[in-house]
Amino acid sequence: MSLLDVSNLDAGYGDLQVLSDVDLTVDRGEYVAIVGPNGAGKSTAMKSVFGIADRQGGSITFDGTDITAHSPERVIHEGLSYVPQTENVFPSLTVDENLRLGGYILDDVPESRREAIFERFPVLADRGEQVAGTLSGGQQQMLAMGCALMLDPDLVLLDEPSAGLAPDLVDEMFDRIDDINEMGTAVLIVEQNAKEALRRCDRGYVLANGENRYEGGGDELLNDEEVRRQFLGG
Amino acid sequence: MGLAQNVIFGLVTGSYIAIAAIGFTLIYGIVNMINFAYGEYLTMGAFIGILTVGVLPLPLPLAAVVAMVGGGLISLLLARLFFTPINQTGPVPMLLTSIGLGLVLRNGIRLTAGQSARYFDTEAITFRFDGLPPLSVGSVDLLGGFFVTSEQLIVMGCAVGVFLLVHTLLTRTDVGIAMRAMGDNENLARVRGIDTQRIRDSVWVLAGVLAALAGVLLGIQTNVSAGTGFSQILQILSAAILGGAGSPYGAIAGSYVIGLVLALSTAFLPAGMTGISSAIAFLILIGVLLVKPSGLAGQEVREA
Repeated sequence: MSLLDVSNLDAGYGDLQVLSDVDLTVDRGEYVAIVGPNGAGKSTAMKSVFGIADRQGGSITFDGTDITAHSPERVIHEGLSYVPQTENVFPSLTVDENLRLGGYILDDVPESRREAIFERFPVLADRGEQVAGTLSGGQQQMLAMGCALMLDPDLVLLDEPSAGLAPDLVDEMFDRIDDINEMGTAVLIVEQNAKEALRRCDRGYVLANGENRYEGGGDELLNDEEVRRQFLGG
Repeated sequence: MGLAQNVIFGLVTGSYIAIAAIGFTLIYGIVNMINFAYGEYLTMGAFIGILTVGVLPLPLPLAAVVAMVGGGLISLLLARLFFTPINQTGPVPMLLTSIGLGLVLRNGIRLTAGQSARYFDTEAITFRFDGLPPLSVGSVDLLGGFFVTSEQLIVMGCAVGVFLLVHTLLTRTDVGIAMRAMGDNENLARVRGIDTQRIRDSVWVLAGVLAALAGVLLGIQTNVSAGTGFSQILQILSAAILGGAGSPYGAIAGSYVIGLVLALSTAFLPAGMTGISSAIAFLILIGVLLVKPSGLAGQEVREA
């Protein structure tokens, strides 16, 4: 059974329907990418898993639990965490306070977990007292990922982690995501940078106009003539 | 009276405005509404205190605690009845509701407690410092001897105590950090698993406790009647906006600016112009907002 199982999902915002009949699975420890053109509903798919977009039909189960009707503050208890594309840290809080809220639902975060996060993102250890709003874009992205890892989730949802980063940081960001996945955490990523995401992931989905279009191994999609022509710019 | 004396008056006024303004600005930042009924929360707190002293009777410090607990509970109850149900409708309907609620509360208090002013029967000790020489420039004395009463010291001491406690709450506890986080970004707070309704309830209780304390202190320092709180709401609102709405630290700074300006303009304006001293606080407010719209603390004043 899959860790995350989205089936026949209709979703959107209020009366607006963005997704229709979307299927999506992520296995334990798997690295899955969702790619597709702007407005394809990639982020909406991720937001509806976390209860931020409105689910209008279909079902979402995580680790055997039906989370279709869960609010965000309940979803987080199931063992998955979410890094939004923008505004993913609290700007007026310090780095330490942001990390503390990353583990808000736990009574106690093991010190070893904080250490592991600092080891992966050393910049966070050096800037504990700094107000998050004054960090650079790349540092904020690192902090947002650090916060999501405070729960040691089974699955982490990353919404366009490379968006707005300087080109030399994009590679580093993808390396960090590889690290997280190698430690056993399943990753579901939405990316504008489709080629790089497909190169790195185990499996990918191509979404267009709110519907499943293609699905397959990352390399398989990268080398597919149709996918290349329609979605990867040749 | 010289400058030193008026600075004392200003600090005392600033102190109780600050205690109230912290609660007001937290509601603004976290519940995202301007609570125009907030002045009545001060009045209710003061009357609970006066009732406790007069009827039970309890000593004043205990009565203040009773007033604060009562104020917190009433604030939570009113929020649950009138504000929580319309939380999603946005700031304007909530503001209008609070104006209506304030009107009802004010007249309700007037009907039950009557029109007359009440006060706490305290024995003030006055400390005089007459050693300072006057430093006259024309008719204005820029220094001069001053006095401070035990009541004024209690007001200022309570304010400092409140600042330290609120600072500790906001920076050292999960609830406090969650409050600030909600002020930043409520959606992200939910993604972190923060029960936003519980945090909002905590803010209502805290704001009610602070308003009640400010009301009791106002009663100790002067007197209270049904309209007392309402007469303070514009000062509280100005202090909060001056400091950068939503920022408790800014509200503290804004309160002392307002308190000092009120006291000094009353004292030093020519006799015929003292009537405009309260307007001067607002002129400063307008001035600050023209130059620095984000207020003293620099946080963006959001749409309300």
